[in-house]
Amino acid sequence: MTRPLKPFVYFEPSTIKEAVQILDTYGTKAKVLAGGVDLVARMRLRQIRPEYVVSILNIPKLDYIQSDGAGLKFGALVTIRSLELSPKVQKNYAILYEAASQIASVQVKNMGTAVGNLCVATPASDIAAALYALSAKLRIISPVSERVIPIEEFFIGVNQTVLKPGEIVTEVIVPSPAPQTGGAFFKLVRTTSDIAKVNVAVSLTVTDNTCREARVALGSVAPTVIRANQAEEALKRSRLEPKAVEEAAQLAAQEAKPITDLRSTVEYRSEMVRVLVRRAMEKALTRVRT
Amino acid sequence: MAEQKVKFIVNGRSYEIPIEPHMTLVEVLRDKLDITGTKISCGAGECGACTVLIDGKAVLSCLTLAITAREKNILTIEGLAEKGNLHPIQKAFIDGGAIQCGFCTPGMILATKALLDKNPNPTHEEVKQGLAGNLCRCTGYVKIIDAVLAAAQKMRKGGS
Repeated sequence: MTRPLKPFVYFEPSTIKEAVQILDTYGTKAKVLAGGVDLVARMRLRQIRPEYVVSILNIPKLDYIQSDGAGLKFGALVTIRSLELSPKVQKNYAILYEAASQIASVQVKNMGTAVGNLCVATPASDIAAALYALSAKLRIISPVSERVIPIEEFFIGVNQTVLKPGEIVTEVIVPSPAPQTGGAFFKLVRTTSDIAKVNVAVSLTVTDNTCREARVALGSVAPTVIRANQAEEALKRSRLEPKAVEEAAQLAAQEAKPITDLRSTVEYRSEMVRVLVRRAMEKALTRVRT
Repeated sequence: MAEQKVKFIVNGRSYEIPIEPHMTLVEVLRDKLDITGTKISCGAGECGACTVLIDGKAVLSCLTLAITAREKNILTIEGLAEKGNLHPIQKAFIDGGAIQCGFCTPGMILATKALLDKNPNPTHEEVKQGLAGNLCRCTGYVKIIDAVLAAAQKMRKGGS
């Protein structure tokens, strides 16, 4: 459907402070515009009808990717395409690169921001799954406070986050992976432009052939991206032989709580969690060892 | 909300026109400026028919609020030919039979331009990835991909 958008009052603040004050004033009647891929499409479909649209596109210093020994930081206006093309991301954050590079199309990635993707809070978010595995944190700013929270505390449910009216996410902070760490991201889709049936991001830290740290994130199989805690625990201190990997994958499949919808069934999604977690672990291991 | 006067730079030419903030770029191009080469189809970011280049990057004009594109360089299909000569990509599409009904073609060609500007010598796979956001309902993908590769070859030789 290509009907026009309903009219709204448009703001274009030039500072974060100004933006959060406007958002605070209008509360749930206001929406933030960054890339617009999700917002404008849903406004056209009448799924949402904001009376106020607050563009953050003209706020300076939100479009940066910084990387040093401590890790990676990027601002709220960094597009998914910029992450994909960033040599720093490609080199040191393979999970994030693999997630970004497999999303939809060049056009969507040129427009859509990674932070915007998180704020939409779809359980199928490839970016969210990657950032779970990478232990990312989010900086959230309101008119009166600033806080940094782990990404796992950000999502409440489908299309729901902890953001209160008047709050925006300004930055994503990804710690530098520990030495001897490898990761991988895998997803299953109908077509490249569709959202994931299942996505999986795995990060493993291995020393002396023993797994010291494991993070296994699963997308599209619960109301939010989740971590497969039992699979992670089973991996820790294991020798990561094929049997241990297969058992962990099996546990992850049991921890997934998918639904049946037009894209897939409960049974198929669970089975694919097992397959993709195994493949992601195998790939992550090859990366630790090279 | 009240109309406001906004400057658009389309295909190198400036236009100053009153618009409202809820207008999308494709609506302004087609309905206000009568530049109708850009097509509108799905309105949801799936089909790529509305692809234009803003400051050299391929974006979806149906999901872009026009006001956010003010004073930026917008390139539409009408801006590709120079002095009456078709752009090599346009020629390659015609010569290769990469056009059937033509509705997806402006978007395909602009997505191709964005791809080749950054990567003058793409592989078959890179062309597929570069055009993944553009649907052709006549299913002419084979000839489209061949045309992109042919255009790339011609452009590398500096020919037109």
